[in-house]
Amino acid sequence: MLVFKNAKIMTGKGDTIESGLLLVKDGKIVDVVKEGDIPQGAEVIDLEGKIITPGFIDAHSHVGIGEVGVGWEGQDYNEISDPVTPHLRAIDGILPEDGGFKSARSGGVTTIMTGPGSANVIGGETVVIRTAGKTIEEMIVRNPAGMKAALGENPKRVYGVMGPKKSPITRMASAALLRETLVKAENYKAKLEKGEKDPEKMPERDLKMEAMLRVLNREMPLRLHAHRADDIMTGIRVAREFNIDLTIEHCTEGHKIAPEIAESGFPAIVGPSLGPATKLETKDITWETPKVLHEAGVKVAIMTDHPVVPIEYLGLCASLAMKAGLPEEEALKAITLNAAEILGIADRVGSLEKGKEADFVIWDKHPFDVHSRALKVYIRGELVQDE
Amino acid sequence: MIAIKNAEIFTMANKNYKNGDILIENGKIVKIGENLNLEKVETIIDCTGKTVFPGFIDAHTHIGIGEEDIGWAGRDFDEDSDPVTPHLRALDAINPQDTGFIDSRLGGVTTAMITPGSSNIFGGLCTAIKTYGRTIDEMILKEEVGLKAALGENPKRDYGVKQNRSPKTRMGIAAIMREELYKALDYGKEKKQNLKENKHFNKNLKYESILKVLEKKIPLKIHAHRADDIITALRIQKEFDIDITIEHGTEGHLIAEELSRAKVPVLVGPTLGERTKNELKNKTFATPGILTKAGVKVAIISDHGVIPAQYLPLYAGLSVREGMDEVEALKAITINPAQILGIDDRVGSIEEGKDADLVIYSGSPFDVRSKVEVVLIDGKIINK
Repeated sequence: MLVFKNAKIMTGKGDTIESGLLLVKDGKIVDVVKEGDIPQGAEVIDLEGKIITPGFIDAHSHVGIGEVGVGWEGQDYNEISDPVTPHLRAIDGILPEDGGFKSARSGGVTTIMTGPGSANVIGGETVVIRTAGKTIEEMIVRNPAGMKAALGENPKRVYGVMGPKKSPITRMASAALLRETLVKAENYKAKLEKGEKDPEKMPERDLKMEAMLRVLNREMPLRLHAHRADDIMTGIRVAREFNIDLTIEHCTEGHKIAPEIAESGFPAIVGPSLGPATKLETKDITWETPKVLHEAGVKVAIMTDHPVVPIEYLGLCASLAMKAGLPEEEALKAITLNAAEILGIADRVGSLEKGKEADFVIWDKHPFDVHSRALKVYIRGELVQDE
Repeated sequence: MIAIKNAEIFTMANKNYKNGDILIENGKIVKIGENLNLEKVETIIDCTGKTVFPGFIDAHTHIGIGEEDIGWAGRDFDEDSDPVTPHLRALDAINPQDTGFIDSRLGGVTTAMITPGSSNIFGGLCTAIKTYGRTIDEMILKEEVGLKAALGENPKRDYGVKQNRSPKTRMGIAAIMREELYKALDYGKEKKQNLKENKHFNKNLKYESILKVLEKKIPLKIHAHRADDIITALRIQKEFDIDITIEHGTEGHLIAEELSRAKVPVLVGPTLGERTKNELKNKTFATPGILTKAGVKVAIISDHGVIPAQYLPLYAGLSVREGMDEVEALKAITINPAQILGIDDRVGSIEEGKDADLVIYSGSPFDVRSKVEVVLIDGKIINK
């Protein structure tokens, strides 16, 4: 057993143990307690008042699938040949050697959601992985973790403006493609049910529809790229029509319709907020969005959208949201427990609690202090980064 | 409670008032009369010397779906990737933050119909909304008020000329329209049969939209400028026994009797501005008056995006100058569009029980010197 003593432990649940013990064994957290008796035979590390947080979680990134420092060879997130590609799978396009993973660990990020971009109205399945490992298989935390979808300018730009004149040209058509694909999935489901009773009627396997069925059956949410308030409302409208789960990715104008989002019950993953407004639909970008959404009762995570904002700055993004009014403990939750809950992995990671996986970071200073460094990063009890 | 006091009220219903009061509660008009007891009213708007009208209704616009000062990122009305897109819904593409909404409501337009454009033969579903609100969902007055369709130059130009594909001719347009209507009829029969036998049925959103027209739940709102295109629309209406409205009706004055006989409403406009296309060459402000005299129900429209909705009363005024009766011109931007859109139970006139959508003018709305002083939508003061 490994015991870290004399540590300030920020659990990720919102509370902090000023001086405590973190007990780790077989990759799991055995306990998180105030300073006290240490089990015999344990290896003890005295942290001399340093800070422990859960490993950070970036709930929306393109690490490994949009490789850093590489051109078209390493760009594997936007399949801009067809606006409806639900059968694509993020795991088939992720390079574990990508420099983005090292950046993630250096910033204390131990878990990420990564996946398709937003060129397509329906982009493919996303995956949640750890930021250390040799093969994608051993890194997986949850797969598939959701179906990427997109409304707003990106599909319009890629198909309607840049490419040959092809649908979607308008927001109407993006919504229509989404609905049409969900209706096809409903029809496919009915055929499967028929086929189960009468094997002669079993339809041919359709990988696109199989993936969409996972959304329709609420095995995973639609992870919907939406910046503008009207696009967010369109997403909520469609989700209600088909009774599916939704996460609102980016949610740049979420602060304008916070009560409506709260009422929908859908969570928001806000960002990338560091950097200029590069598109018209991001013109009203503000660090206040997480605060306003949180106050309205929305569950909020903060993302980098790496490589849009480099993933090592996830903590900095949370601290800037804090500066704009989000309470400190909520800012930490937005990159730990909330992110884990939104990704459906909170039973395993996201907070320092008995029984969860031992993903944690030792900091020399408060992680929201720009001077702070992630001295040691552990994933499942294994040291993966040592300064 | 809000009250309007001492106003000259043009109700567009049975009785007008020289010096009347209107009592508003919970967003509705609760009482209209003279010398009402206003003791318990919190906000009283003194309208001495002013005129009050029902909020104006623009029955054909692209506000919020063709956003101003933006370019491609805000152009969401013409999905010219396929001439047959009846499954599109304008609702999914309207930005309540568009400047067009601010201008329109400040100009007294409190209700607008938002429609897809006319590139496509079947363009998509149209929606009627209030011009004030944070989300489109809360602005909706009636979600589906028609299916947009188009005849004439636009589909020919956007597919035949620009993309070298069908439709290239007026014949092609009418043929595709018929073909899709027949397909939807077949779809409807199959659906009915399957439902009867309790069998699963593959839903098709395109035909679901057209079916609504065939079942007369909504009208086909057919963009037609030239007289021959209008006549084609009337022919298709008879063939399929559906409800239609003629959108634009630029040459309607040339076939007023035919339109009157067919009992089809005509939404005339946008009349101000140059003749940008050949099919507009006979455009005149005399059309609304001629049609009205022939017994046609007429609405005057801006087609906002083409000419601004905020000047809707001006277009009605110019129609008066060219011979339209003044009361009829007012009806053409209030109760007539409300009836045509099927929302006259809520808006279009000042009557007890209707939504408190009101415009307070400094004088006659047909006088270019008069100003909109106060606009109320659902009893809420939008500006003052």
